[in-house]
Amino acid sequence: MMVRSKSSRMVRTIVGWAVVALFAFPLYYWMTVAFKEGNEIFNWPPKVWSFTPTIKNFEEVFGISFGFGFGEQREVLPGGGNFRMGPRLWDSIVIAILSTALAITIATLASYALSRMNFRGRHHFVSWVLSTRMMPPVAVAIPIFFIYKDIGLLDTYTGVILIHALMNLPLAVLLMKSFFDDIPGEIDESALVDGASRWLIFRRIVLPMVKGGIAATAVLCFIFSWTEFLFVLTLTQTGLKTVPVVSSTFVTSTGTAWGSMAALGAAAMIPAFIFILLVQKHLVRGLTLGSVKQ
Amino acid sequence: MKDSDRKLYRAKIVDDYVRGRMSRRSFLRNASALGLGAGVLGTGMMRPTPTFAQNALEPSKEVLDWVREVSKPFSGTTLRLATESTPPSNAINSQLKKYFEEASGMTVEIETLPLEQVLQKLTLDIASQLGTYDLYYIDQSWAASVSRDVFDPREQIANNPDLAMPNYNIDDFMPALVDGIAKYEDRWVGVPYDIPIFIMQYRKDIYDKMGFGAPETLEEYYEQAKAITDENGPNLYGATGQMKSGHYSLECDWTAWLWGHGGSIFGPDGKFTGNDERGLEAMEYWTRLAQTMPPGVNGWTWDGEGQSVAQGVAASMMSWGEFFPYFDDPSATKVSGLMAAARCPKPKNPLRTVTETGYGEIPGVGHQGGSSLAVSRNSKNPDAAWIFMQWATCYDTQVLITALGGGTGPTRDSVYNDERIKANARVGAGTTRHLDVVRETIALDMGSEPDLPQWAELSNDTIPVRLGKYFAGEYASAKEAMDDIAQAVDKVVSG
Repeated sequence: MMVRSKSSRMVRTIVGWAVVALFAFPLYYWMTVAFKEGNEIFNWPPKVWSFTPTIKNFEEVFGISFGFGFGEQREVLPGGGNFRMGPRLWDSIVIAILSTALAITIATLASYALSRMNFRGRHHFVSWVLSTRMMPPVAVAIPIFFIYKDIGLLDTYTGVILIHALMNLPLAVLLMKSFFDDIPGEIDESALVDGASRWLIFRRIVLPMVKGGIAATAVLCFIFSWTEFLFVLTLTQTGLKTVPVVSSTFVTSTGTAWGSMAALGAAAMIPAFIFILLVQKHLVRGLTLGSVKQ
Repeated sequence: MKDSDRKLYRAKIVDDYVRGRMSRRSFLRNASALGLGAGVLGTGMMRPTPTFAQNALEPSKEVLDWVREVSKPFSGTTLRLATESTPPSNAINSQLKKYFEEASGMTVEIETLPLEQVLQKLTLDIASQLGTYDLYYIDQSWAASVSRDVFDPREQIANNPDLAMPNYNIDDFMPALVDGIAKYEDRWVGVPYDIPIFIMQYRKDIYDKMGFGAPETLEEYYEQAKAITDENGPNLYGATGQMKSGHYSLECDWTAWLWGHGGSIFGPDGKFTGNDERGLEAMEYWTRLAQTMPPGVNGWTWDGEGQSVAQGVAASMMSWGEFFPYFDDPSATKVSGLMAAARCPKPKNPLRTVTETGYGEIPGVGHQGGSSLAVSRNSKNPDAAWIFMQWATCYDTQVLITALGGGTGPTRDSVYNDERIKANARVGAGTTRHLDVVRETIALDMGSEPDLPQWAELSNDTIPVRLGKYFAGEYASAKEAMDDIAQAVDKVVSG
């Protein structure tokens, strides 16, 4: 009995590590590409563990000469050209954080109202919110381009933040509503009886209880904005660009600069990783919130 | 020694010394042999720093003085250009535009994108007439579609003599390129800006080992490719391709084989002729040749094709010459110094003449994929944009682009003769040792796609989607595939 338990635990451990390896290996391999010279990237069989690491790709992508301060590249690189991706990384961070903050602020208020307040057409409103998610983004990208051009939002942070927040809102509202729905209404009613206002109840009582839900929703919104391509491509020109769009500039007429693309991709994982790390404490709570009904 | 040889040799030894390939002692000995003191060469007794090397490749003072003078009314203007990430655009964006900006007081914002995205941006800008971009990068396959939306540079020169660059010499652009890239009907759709063109690129070491020379005919090319694949596969394949289903690159490969077998895309009546006898002969050849290519070739664009040669998986490619300088880069590829360039094999059947084809199609084995640069009619600063365009395409800038960026062939005939370009004809990144072949190919073998407004759709979608289906085995025969393409193309053309 004891032996079987030990062996099954071992099998579970092995399977667990295998699953982790399955998810981690592509990331690891992508990271190794960022540290490889061009002639080692396409080796066959691939050089997974033993290769000569180089920081050349990072130097080229960010225009930084490690050890010599900020350097100015003096040659045009075959298959790529010179890139200065630091500002583009900053663009991504600003857009992802602010659009997430905006979407969460609006979604939290809207979903609390949808969860707690009775008003005419409430259920239709929820369906309508959901229906906006069914719209293919490509169908609205061009009309929005024209609108933005007219009102001067083309190629601006505000424009991209607004559209990312807008695209995130339906999902955020529905998610947050489900989190609010899990908080018993009696809590609000007790507070109302004690004389608390709606705003006070929302701010002091209910909001702290859905912190985990907010974190989970924020992570989803952040990841959407961090990886969104179409709107940024259509609504920006030279003023700003996010990482996914600017990554496509590594696809050149003389091939793709894979090392540079991997270096940017590796660097782009860091802010997203930090953001998720910051909200991690609440994230697990949020993801499991409402999983057990009383 | 002739004066021109002396100059060329001087440029070479300076280049070798600057790049650290020649010791100071050897440099001084060679310089003495030329009858020149070190002071004359401007080196003193110190190895020139990279800055010196860079300074040798800075724009001429005369050109910058002209920019400074003519740009005064436009100081503070911002110009925008969306372009594919090509060697000339990269060279201008990263190295050269700073000189223009400094002299002109203008700001130039260059948005580099993959080709498909450039087309999307350009189409949106034209459709909306917004003038978001002051200059258009125009692939030759879009020339007909945008011909009315850009200024004809000849008109700009005639209408604005005050803004015309002295010695710009528009006639220096190679006539074949003007015809093939920048001309639609009687209009110039900008000036030729870059010229990727099909040339034969092969592994000299492997060809020597097999006892082969550069292939003279298409059939010889197939025989060589088959022999290499039979002997070395699956480690090494004789040929490679850019055969991604539904991608423009697939259409490019197809046209080379089609023209090489004496066929054409259109007949004089404007009907699709890729399904005629010569068209089917080309398909039969291409199907055979594809058997000598690495597995996965059906998923590659020019990127995968180039990589297969760069990583030593394929021994040859008849494709874009702008890959050649990349192949010579020892830090990026495994074939540095091993590649040789040659003209494409001769066509199997006599080429059709332009009059035997439709829509200005020019049959030739050397498929060209050049592009032009033009000022948009919707630009709010057309004069300022015209000044930039002249600077970006003038002799001096083209020399710097080619010397700095390598890669693409110059579009001006005189640039090929420049000493700085010839001095770069050595093994290494950004080599120009293939440019003589490029020049010959432009003059003798160049093939150009037809000019019609629907061509962007046909070449990017209608044809390559169906060719992809053929290689995926969705048609019973090449005849069935080509008949289907004929039907689809004629439907699009007739509107």
